[in-house]
Amino acid sequence: MRLGAEIMQIAYYPGCTLHASSELYDVQCRKVLKQLGIELKEIEDWNCCGATSASKTDDFLAVALPARNLGIADASGLLEMLIPCSSCYSRTLVSQKILSEDTELKNKINTELSKKVEGRIRIASILDILVPRANSGVIAEKSVKNLGGLKPACYYGCLLTRFPRDIQISDNVENPQGMETVCKALGAEPIDWCYKTDCCGASAAINDADTSLLLMSRIMKDALAREANCFVTTCPMCQMNMDAYQDQVCESCGIQKRLPVFFITELLGIAMGFTLQEMQIDRHFVDSLGLLKELKLYAINPERY
Amino acid sequence: MSSPVLQFMPELSQPLLQEVMDRSGQNLLACYQCRRCAAGCPVGEETGVTPDRLIRMIIFGEKEEALNNLLVWKCVACYTCGTRCPNNIQTARINETLKQMAKEAHIEPLLPKISTFHDAFLRSASHFGRFNELEFIGLYEIQNAKRELRHGGGWKAVAAEMKNQAKLGISMMKKKRVHFRLDKIRRLSEIKRLYKKARDEAGG
Repeated sequence: MRLGAEIMQIAYYPGCTLHASSELYDVQCRKVLKQLGIELKEIEDWNCCGATSASKTDDFLAVALPARNLGIADASGLLEMLIPCSSCYSRTLVSQKILSEDTELKNKINTELSKKVEGRIRIASILDILVPRANSGVIAEKSVKNLGGLKPACYYGCLLTRFPRDIQISDNVENPQGMETVCKALGAEPIDWCYKTDCCGASAAINDADTSLLLMSRIMKDALAREANCFVTTCPMCQMNMDAYQDQVCESCGIQKRLPVFFITELLGIAMGFTLQEMQIDRHFVDSLGLLKELKLYAINPERY
Repeated sequence: MSSPVLQFMPELSQPLLQEVMDRSGQNLLACYQCRRCAAGCPVGEETGVTPDRLIRMIIFGEKEEALNNLLVWKCVACYTCGTRCPNNIQTARINETLKQMAKEAHIEPLLPKISTFHDAFLRSASHFGRFNELEFIGLYEIQNAKRELRHGGGWKAVAAEMKNQAKLGISMMKKKRVHFRLDKIRRLSEIKRLYKKARDEAGG
């Protein structure tokens, strides 16, 4: 059977950000994946994974908070769980790994949980879901627009490829290609560049702005030097950071140009013919509509916009 | 480093090294100072102290510096150092351990805003089981203001900080990216129990 031939259900952990400032990513994931034949079943009563703050300051909570969600996901009876946020994805995957190696800790945590961790659920990033469907041709099949002329700098950030534990991923750690594969399936022309897995300093944006601005300026400069016309990312932290602070970054180093920062799901949505409103593209800080208009990506069906 | 000449004092270094290795799960003695971690560290230029030097500090028993230097606080947990280390040492884990040890020793953090940030984050996540951005920013800024007023910046620093956050807040509001509803989970007691266990673990 080909991937995408019939509706399949997978568990879904949106995480706090997708219920708040990056709600658009939640909306996009649900719509776009439905087109690909995937129904997302949000797990019940999920909690915050603790993100970077737990991992940096509390070893027990760093494992225990995602563990509760793992227990709920295991009890759902589904085989796989999508976690679109890179931070939640990383923390949950690491927690599952630690629990699989430390039975004593697992028992200690499980005594507090109504739904115990069994370790069954398979954790998937958004690329784990999309890349096989790009390779199988399903994504191209569902696309009605070609994204030719769009030259994204595919930005992975830290947490999709690097982990504080020994966790193997299917992509290249230093030069991942998953996002490029998806972009190419849509007809876009991703550029080759050096900063795709560098840190943008999102966790420092509020508490150590000098650091985050410096890190973002390096990323911005390289993307511009390679003639990208936008960024595309899978991480809501990176998206928010690179989008909301881009003016400040560019002003600090005299850059005139701005680059829209898209979620990967937005590009899929545009290619699949969703309207800008359906994809909520008006919720970006850096203007994204100008580029899409210039590339005639939303004038094909004008009465819909 | 505290002394101009490196001195190796096993009675100082051994307990520190042992504690950091045990708690972080990292074999610091495997470091042969190739500095691949330093080359890849995105904050290395700013901090001066790079992961390799931090490991040296610990091996030499420089406890005070090890527990409170710019790298420990500015580390963005990007895990580049650990991914590239030929000996599989995850320095970010060492940083996490040192932060926790510094807290236990009641050392005033070199960059208090960062410490306040993480505390406020975890507190916010404990109240309702989910992280609420507005509640968090409130908790964080109140702590910051208290600190500024107690020592240092005074009202001027508080006002500057507020102005900065307000700017972001307003632009987020314009883009409809501020979420006003409080998200709360049903079985909050489970979260409270996990937090209690975390406190017991840290205490025990």
